[in-house]
Amino acid sequence: MEIKADLCIGCGQCVIICPVQAIKLIDNIAVIDKNLCVECSICKRNADCPVNAIRSRRLKWPRVIRSPFSDVISTHRLTGIPGRGTEEMKTNDVTNRFGVDEIGFSIEIGRPGVGTHLGNIELFTTKLTSIGVNFERESPVSALLIDDSGHIKKDIKEERVLSAIIEFKVPLNKAILVLQAIKQIEKNIDTVFTVGVISQVMKDGAIPILDLLTQQEFSVRPNAKVNIGLGKV
Amino acid sequence: MTHSLHRTGKINDLKSDYIILAMLAAGINDKYPDAKQKLLRVAEILNQNNPVNIIPKPAWKISPVITATFIDIEMVKNVIQTLKQEDLGVSIVISGLISEIQEAVKETGLKMHTIHLSLGTFGRKGLLPSEEILEITTMCGHHCISPQSVKYYVELIKSGKISVENAAKKLLKPCVCGIFNPTRAITLLNKLSGIFS
Repeated sequence: MEIKADLCIGCGQCVIICPVQAIKLIDNIAVIDKNLCVECSICKRNADCPVNAIRSRRLKWPRVIRSPFSDVISTHRLTGIPGRGTEEMKTNDVTNRFGVDEIGFSIEIGRPGVGTHLGNIELFTTKLTSIGVNFERESPVSALLIDDSGHIKKDIKEERVLSAIIEFKVPLNKAILVLQAIKQIEKNIDTVFTVGVISQVMKDGAIPILDLLTQQEFSVRPNAKVNIGLGKV
Repeated sequence: MTHSLHRTGKINDLKSDYIILAMLAAGINDKYPDAKQKLLRVAEILNQNNPVNIIPKPAWKISPVITATFIDIEMVKNVIQTLKQEDLGVSIVISGLISEIQEAVKETGLKMHTIHLSLGTFGRKGLLPSEEILEITTMCGHHCISPQSVKYYVELIKSGKISVENAAKKLLKPCVCGIFNPTRAITLLNKLSGIFS
């Protein structure tokens, strides 16, 4: 994004609405910090700039990678998927993507609202690769991986985005390794991340992963997403 | 996206915050000739049951997902009952308090198929805004609502320059998915601005 300095009247509406606080008023003119800007386009769409000073720029590689990980209406060029994630458990009653003995994980780096540089992805993916997880092939993050060790392209590591979701699954007996890795990585990361855990619900209502989460001293939020099994092939 | 999974808040606040998402599986049941009609029918059912927010109507025909927000679990039950009766075969995901959803599903003779649990936020939590502000900003699944806009509108409310209702509408604007709960936002803005502490 860019703000035309010759048009800006310094009303500050874009400053207020920027989710990553990348816009500041300097000498009564709105200025975008290009390093902090994640190219989400929220300022352009929602600031109601009275002089139409906010403009989209044609982004070049590698900066162009910021937009699909930040702009809610942008589609990933790498995957053709809009948004930052996949169908994950939303259609599991049809796809059986997560079987009864499997546990899915969604780790969203930069959420809520802090943002991240893409290099943080490697903190997780290199460790998770050594555990032997199955990354979701349709995930935009999986499309960034360049080798079997969980590395991503060097030239995109410094690019900042609003968030990036790592999606994968493991057999239930390997979930403990993932949970232990999360605790280790938490100590070294320079941003925040959220963790979601996906499990089929057994016929008796049991959720197999709950005991392990308790053993490993993870708190489970009282609210969740529940697929109620109405989907059909 | 993980859309509504990581909404924060206390149990009492979350009792009036439910999101229903409908989706067909890509390459499987979204390829049937009547697939789009089925998704549109779900949108109509959601719209008939008093949602406080719903994905904008022009998007119903083009979006691969339909989303709506409800403040009353009874309305959620009505939706589930109707969807069960019509047997559209569309996958339905409900976000909200697990205990309430479990009860609603049981009452309508269904069972939870798959659950996506939230373990919360990790890492440098010192970078986050206050919990009260997060309760509002996390109502947008893509986190398009800035913490400073919440602070800005709280100050305008305090100075009488905007009503709480209009402030909630302004905050909702960047969230395009229909999952921001404006009614809950009004309650939270009232608390933040000291109208109801």
